[in-house]
Amino acid sequence: METQFLLAKAKDKELAKRGECGGAISALFKYLLDQGLVDGVLNLRQGVDIYDGIPTLVEDSEDLMETCGSLHCAPTMFGDLISNYLSDMRLAVSVKPCDAMAIRELEKRHQINEDNLFKIGLNCGGVVMPLIAQKMIDIFYEVDPDDVVKEEIDKGKFIIKLKDGSHKSVEIDELEDQGFGRRINCQRCELKVPRNADLAGGNWGAEPGWTFIEVLTDKGKKLVKDAKKSGYIEVKIPSEKAIGMREKIENVMIKLAHKFQDKYLEENYPDTENWDEYWNRCIKCYACRDACALCFCKECDLEKDFYNDENEVVPDPLTFQGIRMSHACFSCVNCGQCEDVCPMEIPLAVIFHKMQKRYRDKTGFIAGVSEELPPLYSPEKS
Amino acid sequence: MMKVAHSICPSCSVGCGVNLIIKDNEAVGTYPYKRHPVNEGKTCRKGRECFKIMTENRLKEPLIKEDGLKLSNWEDALDTVASQIKSYPSHEIGILVSGNYTNQEYETLKKFADALGIRNIGCHTGSVPSSNLETVALDDVEKSEFILIIGDVIKKYPLLGRRVILAQENGAEILAVDEPDKTLTGINSQEYIQVESASSIIDEVDDIILEKLSPQSTVLISNLESEDDFEKIVKFFEQSDAKIIPVFQDCNSRGAVNILPVLSSDDMKGMLERVKLLYILGDDPAPHMMESIKNLDFIISQGYLINKTTSISDVVLPGSCWAEKTGSFTNTTGETQEISKIVDAPGAALDDQIIIKKIAEKIGLDL
Repeated sequence: METQFLLAKAKDKELAKRGECGGAISALFKYLLDQGLVDGVLNLRQGVDIYDGIPTLVEDSEDLMETCGSLHCAPTMFGDLISNYLSDMRLAVSVKPCDAMAIRELEKRHQINEDNLFKIGLNCGGVVMPLIAQKMIDIFYEVDPDDVVKEEIDKGKFIIKLKDGSHKSVEIDELEDQGFGRRINCQRCELKVPRNADLAGGNWGAEPGWTFIEVLTDKGKKLVKDAKKSGYIEVKIPSEKAIGMREKIENVMIKLAHKFQDKYLEENYPDTENWDEYWNRCIKCYACRDACALCFCKECDLEKDFYNDENEVVPDPLTFQGIRMSHACFSCVNCGQCEDVCPMEIPLAVIFHKMQKRYRDKTGFIAGVSEELPPLYSPEKS
Repeated sequence: MMKVAHSICPSCSVGCGVNLIIKDNEAVGTYPYKRHPVNEGKTCRKGRECFKIMTENRLKEPLIKEDGLKLSNWEDALDTVASQIKSYPSHEIGILVSGNYTNQEYETLKKFADALGIRNIGCHTGSVPSSNLETVALDDVEKSEFILIIGDVIKKYPLLGRRVILAQENGAEILAVDEPDKTLTGINSQEYIQVESASSIIDEVDDIILEKLSPQSTVLISNLESEDDFEKIVKFFEQSDAKIIPVFQDCNSRGAVNILPVLSSDDMKGMLERVKLLYILGDDPAPHMMESIKNLDFIISQGYLINKTTSISDVVLPGSCWAEKTGSFTNTTGETQEISKIVDAPGAALDDQIIIKKIAEKIGLDL
């Protein structure tokens, strides 16, 4: 279908106020729940503070208010949460590009039923690990992290709003030069607008109080049209200038991602000696496998008897990480969850991302984006 | 209905945050809790699978022994417990509790024992030092310049081990001391001193090492079989300027030690042989102390797990596991963290504090 650009906002005054950029996405969720088109909405809610994003299933549209607004310090993954626990529901889900990529790979493998899902995409420049955010706010902003009531990322800056209503901002470049800022996976990520969702919303190119929406599927088109007709959202056409502005922002971000890919996958890529040190730390806890949305096998090869090396101090990297890599790296979406959860700080995602990139160069298969399964797919090699 | 709820892992003493995935009032999985300052969403396998504790081998109903354990009800079970407790003099009653209860439960239990004048009370929670320990911030471990590790901390307590790895990445020197086998901690240290036994560890600490034990250094002490060795080693390193982290066994061993007497294996054996009625909470001495247990007239077991001790008890009271109650745990570095009730206990199982209070009420005590 032909791409369609819109500016939208919630008609409900409370949603428009509480939601990000006029609350258009919250209003779409409300429409879907009120009309009984979905059983639930999977979204993020703020826990104790802005660093605490908790996946939340909303089944009554009255409760949507608590999931309004955006959280950039919540490196969550919804793919396996849906396939493992919510596959029996008709769902609407807010997806960052990595969520959308994982979901697409799971749909192709029949772990998620596409027909049961509305994927409401969120443009994403990357997220920050919660504790890194607290540390950098303390160091660079000289602010008590507990005094921050809101954060946003805009025009290359990480902006915080304090209890007293004042704002402070620091260039993301400066933060990242010092090892803070966005997760390294996010720095390398080149999918900023989730075009693998039904629609993608965000503030790039938007006027204040409006969400810029790119409608990507017929399902998304019908949703926007019906929600407008039912009085949930107000819609207008963005100017050519706004469309151009959004495209420009996206392109700058992608260019930057390529720079970071060169930095982390080539220049700073660990050498063999480094890898030996990393593998020596492995406690074979399977956290990487369990966090990987793509590792969905009920019976995992890694736990089969012939790979049992429980008596060894460390697992053989060839028959542990090597096997996992041979099964999953072709479809790695660079979400970084494996690395996030590794208790031994092994930078796993760089190998997987590097391998996927090579595979992509040879075959044209882009994990999480391509419509088809990877070439020569077998369940053993996902 | 699905929700994700914050909790603290009950598997060891490090005190990691875990998110429990709850579906229809049942824990079905865990989800990374990345905002938690101890572990930032990282867990070991035990942590990730801790939700299984709630369903495996659960006690759900009160049981009373009549030719073997029979299903009973709270009224009868509590009446039996109260009348038995009343029938023994306080010096013939013992209370034994594990290191997995909340601080509030230890306090309630202490009040209960005090009200009855019971002196035979304590927590058997692995070998632990009883000295007053200072609280150490995990971030300080990461900033250490020198870390001395006794035992295989990296493998057995990975989220404490992670701070050692991070310190090493920051340039710290790591020295491991352990018994002869090759260990994960050993192969990840610059120097690895292999000793014959725990008692010879102190002999290996020469002047060069002593000099490195500055305020910017940390000593991690784990895996000591004997309480005496543990105590001796902790005392020895306490004389230095280094920060000391003894690694406790259970999720609230350190909390228990702050409130109740610590029982070594010998102390426990002594208690079992001294008393006639034993009220056990969460512990399972039967597999390794059967001979001493035979001396008991009456055993009351309270807990959430079916184990060898419950199977030989006279009354069994089904309690709650950590995600079914509210309270706090104190982790191995001395940090006290709150836990909240997330799911209901199964069957007729009750909150442990309520059980203790109900027993007290039946006896006629006001706690």
